[in-house]
Amino acid sequence: MKSHITDRVTGVLLLVFSAWYVYMATTFKVTFMADPVGPKAFPIMLGILLGLLSFYLIFKPDPNPTWPAPDAWLRIGLITLSFIGYAYLMVPLGFIVATTLEMFTLSLIFKGPLLKAALGALVFSLFLYGLFDYLLDLSLPYGMIFRGWIG
Amino acid sequence: MDVLNFLFEGFSIALTPFNIFMVFSGTFIGTMVGMLPGIGPVNGIVVLIPLTFALGLPPESTLMMFAGIYYGSQYGNSISAILLNVPGTSSAVVTALEGNAMTRKGRPGPALAMSAIASFFGGTVSVMALMLFAPLLAQWAIHFGPAEYFALMIFAFSTLSSLAGDNLFKGLIATIIGLMLATIGLDPVSAVDRYTFGQLKLLDGLDFVVVVIGFFAINEIFRYTSRHESEHHLVTQLGRVMITAKEFAASFWTMVRGSIIGFFVGVLPGAGGTIASFVSYTTEKRLIDREGTFGKGDIRGVAAPESANNASANGAMIPLLTLGVPGSETTAVMLGALLGMNITPGPLFISNNPTVFWGLIASMYVGNILLLVLNLPLVGIFVRILKVPQWFLLPAVVAISFVAVYAVNNSPFDILLMAGFGLLGFLMRKTGFPLASVILGLVLGPLMENNLRRAMSLSDGDWTYLFASPISIGLWIAAVASLFLPLIIKRFSVTPVEVAEIAE
Repeated sequence: MKSHITDRVTGVLLLVFSAWYVYMATTFKVTFMADPVGPKAFPIMLGILLGLLSFYLIFKPDPNPTWPAPDAWLRIGLITLSFIGYAYLMVPLGFIVATTLEMFTLSLIFKGPLLKAALGALVFSLFLYGLFDYLLDLSLPYGMIFRGWIG
Repeated sequence: MDVLNFLFEGFSIALTPFNIFMVFSGTFIGTMVGMLPGIGPVNGIVVLIPLTFALGLPPESTLMMFAGIYYGSQYGNSISAILLNVPGTSSAVVTALEGNAMTRKGRPGPALAMSAIASFFGGTVSVMALMLFAPLLAQWAIHFGPAEYFALMIFAFSTLSSLAGDNLFKGLIATIIGLMLATIGLDPVSAVDRYTFGQLKLLDGLDFVVVVIGFFAINEIFRYTSRHESEHHLVTQLGRVMITAKEFAASFWTMVRGSIIGFFVGVLPGAGGTIASFVSYTTEKRLIDREGTFGKGDIRGVAAPESANNASANGAMIPLLTLGVPGSETTAVMLGALLGMNITPGPLFISNNPTVFWGLIASMYVGNILLLVLNLPLVGIFVRILKVPQWFLLPAVVAISFVAVYAVNNSPFDILLMAGFGLLGFLMRKTGFPLASVILGLVLGPLMENNLRRAMSLSDGDWTYLFASPISIGLWIAAVASLFLPLIIKRFSVTPVEVAEIAE
């Protein structure tokens, strides 16, 4: 028999989530009522509906999906980490350096050849910076570390 | 005639050099995103939204470009389907089946030509239909009040939920999650902040650009991690990209039927190009496949889905423009863009913004001609783009996504949000929750709550008001009935599983 645990767990999580969502709605501090419904009713309705629907998942679950293999999960984890790193490094390092590093990392995760990956990442980052910052006047961070160099 | 006057007016707007450039950009980008597997029109449009805001482009030009991306992608998706047997978007699945069979028989040129011509046919016929039907529907919808709008959105959600995925309940859950995401931020009526957890950045609500890029672009990167590097043999010797007069004549009525089917399926929320192409292909198989050549490289089997999926892209513009209620992820994103430019699509849209509407219609005639040129003589150039290796293409998509997401608020926080939604989208797609429903919920959420509350204000809190008018009762009945749509469509169309069987 095929396992149905994924949908069951999802259903339970959604049920807990909807209870929390409804509870949060009841704590909104409403100082005056501008309309007969107010800001609470719509979220409460949604929460109750979601709660009811989550029972369907618990009692009539679909078979489990085919989950990625461990090495794919590893790559997913690495990619996520690289995004987090990018979010923190973008302003200090500037768009060009940060994007080159990010694209290079991703190219390696997708098994690109080392040198070509580095070159491709650098050229494309420069291209994007030129296109958006100079041509289209959409300001991208140039990098705090270069502050003394470029006025 | 009124229509001709307006259309003439529209052409005077669409044929300015700048707008021709915008239509050309749209159709060019559309062909590219349609062709590349894993990227679709949603990605192309959503990445450009922050840019069009930043540059302050006029709404009619922006809409011309976005529409060009949408219908252009329906041309492009067949190129990779025919040459690589990998559909660029799901609406080219049937084209892959029939078109790739032609390629294996050494006839990629005629397959590409037929696809371009059928796309042009479907595109042009459906623009005419759009031009004639949209104003009529708008006149009718002018009587809609908040109660009718609320019911209309329920109808859109239930249809999308029943058609977008395999499991109706998962579609409904996905819709509610989208609506819940829309409640984050300051409530516009009472100024109460909801679900922001004291985060100032969330007061304005989630920006849908961030969510959509996470869901569709970043999600694709995660998905690719478990795909096996398969060696697709890319055919580069296309031969003559033309069809004979005999082949055109044999496919003529197929294209006529495909265009009509595609247009009406496109109007329906949630149905879109994929279902349109399946229904059209099945219809033709029943009607004209006497020698049993469908599935073995019959050129009419390319004409059917390609005319239908193009017509459906234009049909989908009808609910977006005349009702303000989109039925697909792409049109939902376009609604978000229009609202951002202070243009509210709806029954009054055409009479309040005649330049935008008629300019758009005229631009679609122009765009379809441009696409025919891009896809007939210039198809060889596009084929080269398919040779760009994935290890470069995917990181490049990420880099462009970063620019777009950063441009929304100039905030690195949005990049974290985008990554989070990418991961959520990956998990949801794996477990069968349709992402289109989430997007539709997110975009329509504020409108839905607003209409509900206005209806309740009008009726002093009497809930029966939602079911008071004949139009709203009709819409409620339609909403319930739409839950049975998959059963009906199953009767008139092959399912993807059956296609896989034919393909073997």
